Amino acid sequence: MSLSLGQSLKIRAMVHVAAEPIPFFWPMRTFIHHNPLHGLEHLPFTEAVQQGERLFHARGFLPRSAYQQYLAEGKVDRERLVARVAAFAAARTAIPEIDLERWLLAALDDARETTCPARSLAGAADVRAALDAAPATAAPLAAEEIRQRLRAELLGDRPVYEAVDALYGTDIGSELDELVIKSCLDFFDEGQSVWGMPEREQGFFTAWRDVARRNVRLFLRGLHINRILDQADTAEGIIAHVMHTLGIEQDRWMECFTRELARLHGWAGFIRWRASAKHYYWNQHYPGDLVDFMAIRLTLALALLNERGRRNMSCTATAIAEAIETRHEEVYLRQQFHGGHLIPAMAAKVERALALGEKRRIGRVFDEYCACQRADEAARQAHRLRVLAQAAGQESELSGLAAEDLGRLLQTLRVFEQHEGSLWLDAMEAHAMGRLLQGIDLRTPPTREKRPFVQALFCIDTRSERIRRQLEGVGDYQTFGIAGFFGVPVSFMDIGKGSETHLCPVLLTPKNLVPEISAATTQDEPAVTALEKAMHELKESVLTPFVTVEAIGLLFGFDMIGKTLIPQSYNRWRKRLHPDKPPTRLLLDKLSREQADSIVRAVQRAVIVKAVEQEFGLEPERITDAMIRELRETALGHQQSSELVACELGLDREGEGAFVDRLRTEYRINPSFAQVQLERLGRIGFSVDEQTLFVGQALRAIGLDKGFSRFILLVGHGSSSENNPYESALDCGACGGNHGLVSARVLAQMANKAEVRRRLQRQGIDIPDDAWFVPALHNTTTDELKLYDLELLPPSHLVYLDRLRNGLAAASRLCAAERMPTLETPGSQTRDPSDAYRRALRNAMDWSQVRPEWGLSRNAYFVIGRRHLTQGLALEGRAFLHSYDYRLDSRQRLLATILTGPLVVGQWINMEHYFSTVDNESFGSGSKVYHNVAGRFGVMTGNLSDLRTGLPSQTVLKDGRPFHEPLRLITLIEAPFEHALRAIESVVAVKHLVENGWLKMLVVDPQSAQVSLFEDGQWRHRPLASATHPNPLLEPIA
Amino acid sequence: MSNLTYLLVGFFLPLFPFSIGFNVLFTRVNHWPLRLALLLVWPQIGLALLARADVPPPHWILTWAMATALLYSLRLLAMRELGGWIAFLATAAWGLLWLLAQAPAAGGLSLHALWFSLPLVMLALLGASLERRFGGAYTGIYQGLAQGMPRFSAILVVTVLAAVATPPAPSFFSMLSAFLNATPMLMLGLAALWLLWTWAAARLLQGLIVGPGNCRSQADLKPSGAWVYTAALVALIALGAALPGGLA
Repeated sequence: MSLSLGQSLKIRAMVHVAAEPIPFFWPMRTFIHHNPLHGLEHLPFTEAVQQGERLFHARGFLPRSAYQQYLAEGKVDRERLVARVAAFAAARTAIPEIDLERWLLAALDDARETTCPARSLAGAADVRAALDAAPATAAPLAAEEIRQRLRAELLGDRPVYEAVDALYGTDIGSELDELVIKSCLDFFDEGQSVWGMPEREQGFFTAWRDVARRNVRLFLRGLHINRILDQADTAEGIIAHVMHTLGIEQDRWMECFTRELARLHGWAGFIRWRASAKHYYWNQHYPGDLVDFMAIRLTLALALLNERGRRNMSCTATAIAEAIETRHEEVYLRQQFHGGHLIPAMAAKVERALALGEKRRIGRVFDEYCACQRADEAARQAHRLRVLAQAAGQESELSGLAAEDLGRLLQTLRVFEQHEGSLWLDAMEAHAMGRLLQGIDLRTPPTREKRPFVQALFCIDTRSERIRRQLEGVGDYQTFGIAGFFGVPVSFMDIGKGSETHLCPVLLTPKNLVPEISAATTQDEPAVTALEKAMHELKESVLTPFVTVEAIGLLFGFDMIGKTLIPQSYNRWRKRLHPDKPPTRLLLDKLSREQADSIVRAVQRAVIVKAVEQEFGLEPERITDAMIRELRETALGHQQSSELVACELGLDREGEGAFVDRLRTEYRINPSFAQVQLERLGRIGFSVDEQTLFVGQALRAIGLDKGFSRFILLVGHGSSSENNPYESALDCGACGGNHGLVSARVLAQMANKAEVRRRLQRQGIDIPDDAWFVPALHNTTTDELKLYDLELLPPSHLVYLDRLRNGLAAASRLCAAERMPTLETPGSQTRDPSDAYRRALRNAMDWSQVRPEWGLSRNAYFVIGRRHLTQGLALEGRAFLHSYDYRLDSRQRLLATILTGPLVVGQWINMEHYFSTVDNESFGSGSKVYHNVAGRFGVMTGNLSDLRTGLPSQTVLKDGRPFHEPLRLITLIEAPFEHALRAIESVVAVKHLVENGWLKMLVVDPQSAQVSLFEDGQWRHRPLASATHPNPLLEPIA
Repeated sequence: MSNLTYLLVGFFLPLFPFSIGFNVLFTRVNHWPLRLALLLVWPQIGLALLARADVPPPHWILTWAMATALLYSLRLLAMRELGGWIAFLATAAWGLLWLLAQAPAAGGLSLHALWFSLPLVMLALLGASLERRFGGAYTGIYQGLAQGMPRFSAILVVTVLAAVATPPAPSFFSMLSAFLNATPMLMLGLAALWLLWTWAAARLLQGLIVGPGNCRSQADLKPSGAWVYTAALVALIALGAALPGGLA
């Protein structure tokens, strides 16, 4: 099949659009928290959750029992819940004698399971009969009703093989997933496999096709891939061929593609992200996109269907549709039998009838089965209704209810139960909002007489809330919250590495490159490092298991014993074997044209020296500067051939010409590459203007424009743990899932520059000469606070260093004492700061520890305002705290920036936690215990599964119950309402998040002491003075 | 003994196609005490008839018995209904009594039959218990019994293992006796048979015990009931070790 360009483009576009609901999945080296339903954020929250539930076969809210537990613990605002239930009941038509509100509340309070299934063969008359213990109704089911149900469940956007599996129990879907995953692992591998897939440069589909054509295992399994691949040359052609063969109408292709992609949404999300990441090394070298993925998937699906379809089975959409029309009894029984819905008492009879395949017998069994199923479902519903009526105190009313009214009651309960999750969530959020509003302090803090000993800027991360509170408690420390990249998007090149790391939220792409340069002399590689490299290579070798397993196994055995029995001492000893990282500087200033030219020249000279050494074996003393200059000038085309060089190297004219050509092509000594190098050098560093802008912006954003302390700490954060593929999930999200130290060093270096300070002074920010910005790192696993670049500290400050270190150490220990009990079992908890700190250190080094820290679990709030607003409130590490002073932001630019970056990232984090908690298997990544690293970019459960995209159960669950309380992010802005509203309206993404209910937005006006909440599509305003009420938001509007 | 008499015995120590009689009867009988009686009495009738023979059964009968046992063991893999599963396993196991009868010291055949029947009797009781709770004892419909009914599941697992001649169940020693007295071909057949039984047992347990489970609303075995079953299993194993195991 050959497609026209237009048809090919149409298919590409369809796949592209179909993939929109599939969230990106970033490689786990830099774990990016994301909303699993990001592609549905254009919809209102509840609607998107419904779609997500259907698409990912997942649950969007916790089960009722979990919310009932929260209610019992006082974490649900009952008043709000009752109000919501009343509103729901009021919107339904009244049923005589039935107090609907009481029934619904009884369902929420007392019933453990839902009363009405989403689909039931039993009608109201059947349930009435079951309630009266009367014989079941004899009215037969309409065949069309069954057909409709079958069409809805088997056709539509459901992949054909899924329908075949549902009818014949063939398990094609699982087998297909397995084959596709293996293909993905082969192609997308990033160095984990010793032997790579051949021809990967050709692209995913082409490389796979070449291998699949010669894959004997597939052939032996009866999968005749070649017959399908022969039908078209391109991925788009294969897609069109398969869809036509399966009898799927073209107007349904897109929804079918979405369902196909959603089956392995982890892999699809990774490929989708990868295809869009133009700078990603692996994508540049081995390109692959979702069209390739879809073509491979559909080829294998068709091959499997062909292989299984030999035995009189309906294996195309058309054949299934026809079977539903002509043999609905058989199709229905098949679906019940293989779908695991069968009534056990009838199972053997149904199996026999299907095995014999006699139409009349099947018809008889179908009638009997349906009657049995109706009676069973009616009895079940009747029982639950009775329980509910008893809880509502309306048993007699239920007895007297006519069948028609009973039908309405059942329908109301069905609708209510489908929506009850959002009611529970709303009531939980009301409680959480009430708690926050009760605790905030709107009074203006008294003016300080003297400047604080230290000012510390922490990341807005929820884990900073605890350490900030403790630090403020141990001394004269003033803290601020700012996004952990300190507002400076940096592309960082680590010492000894050739790749760049983006240190900023993924929403941004940094323009400026900052390389790290060693400030020490070069050192020889120590023996232990060389030994480790050798071990690593041996471990990866195919032959190792046969020849050296005993020796290597023993060494690894020692390593294992050390890590297991004495993790702290062993790790300390191992660290001593490695040299410390040498002192480094960041190349932060822009290079002038002359400097850049000089660097390029130096590099070219060095390359030519190496080339001459290698090609002619000359000793260094025979390689003169003049020779190199001549060669360089010749290669760059600045002069004709040089006789001096030819003579020195012993070459004739032709030989010299050939060498110069090699210099141009192989060693890239040519003008165009020199230009590229110059452009690359142009990315290095920031101009003084840029540096002034970033420093000024950071300080103004947090309201720090005067009263600078002697020490201004810029505290980035990161985590440390062993044997943890999710380590980067615990690092700084604002730094793109990396440690925040480099960003702190960058801003400190900028802010300490005299020229930058002079320019800031002209802008009204006067940083005194004795104020020094010091970078620091908060290790969130151990709570250690460590200062960096102290060698740059002015001598005048050294005298205060001990006091500072003591303060930081005290805060660390107190923070560990507050945090560690949440990680430990009740019997083993400690409140002693030293003991807690020691245990936290062990957690970071224990390779068997699946939960080194809770990370951002339990996040619930995002507060944008001055520190004193929440300073008196222990928020238990649940709040993102962004410092903001609206008085310094008359044009709302700073607020808009906060909303655009940090708030959106916070919302992603929040949603990632929300969905990983409500359905850890579908949206989260299940237990870490079974995880294996896949291709060096993700994890799988077991040896073969979809890429696990969300958070592991150890991050959000404790003892099988949610540790993270799944709430939408409650955002509070401290500013006059109009001021905040203008900023919200100006950021379209945030405006939509608020309007569609993806986060709860509160604006607290310090001038009028009024709180505004966006709910039910409008802003509602209430006075905050009513804080004596348990929940100020529930106070009647003044 | 005439060939006709051997064929008559073939109804009770099942030989295909006479084995159909027992299987139809067992699956049609829904009254569980009757099922238990069938499991205990049926092979004993066959053995009583066989006892009238003065000479060991001819070799062609042994081959036939082995083929029957293999056929039913193979069918066991696909059987999802517990009643049918018990009937198939009983058919396959009682076929081995022909092999044991051929041994020079064929005494204690009734006991061997009992060792095969007793775990099946317990399994039938457990099956009846499942039918009472769910309306049917069928694999793959209500999985995850281990989560909702842990005591019941534990008893079920041990009983199934005892039924498929896992050591130290007495049926294991009976199987071993048959093995020791078999020709090399029959030995191979026995090994295949054993493999099929254990495979079928794994499939049965997988279809009932493991998985997410949707049977939380069903009551587990009462502790007293669990103790009774446990005592019965311990007694069975002790007897097995003492009598056919030769520890007595």
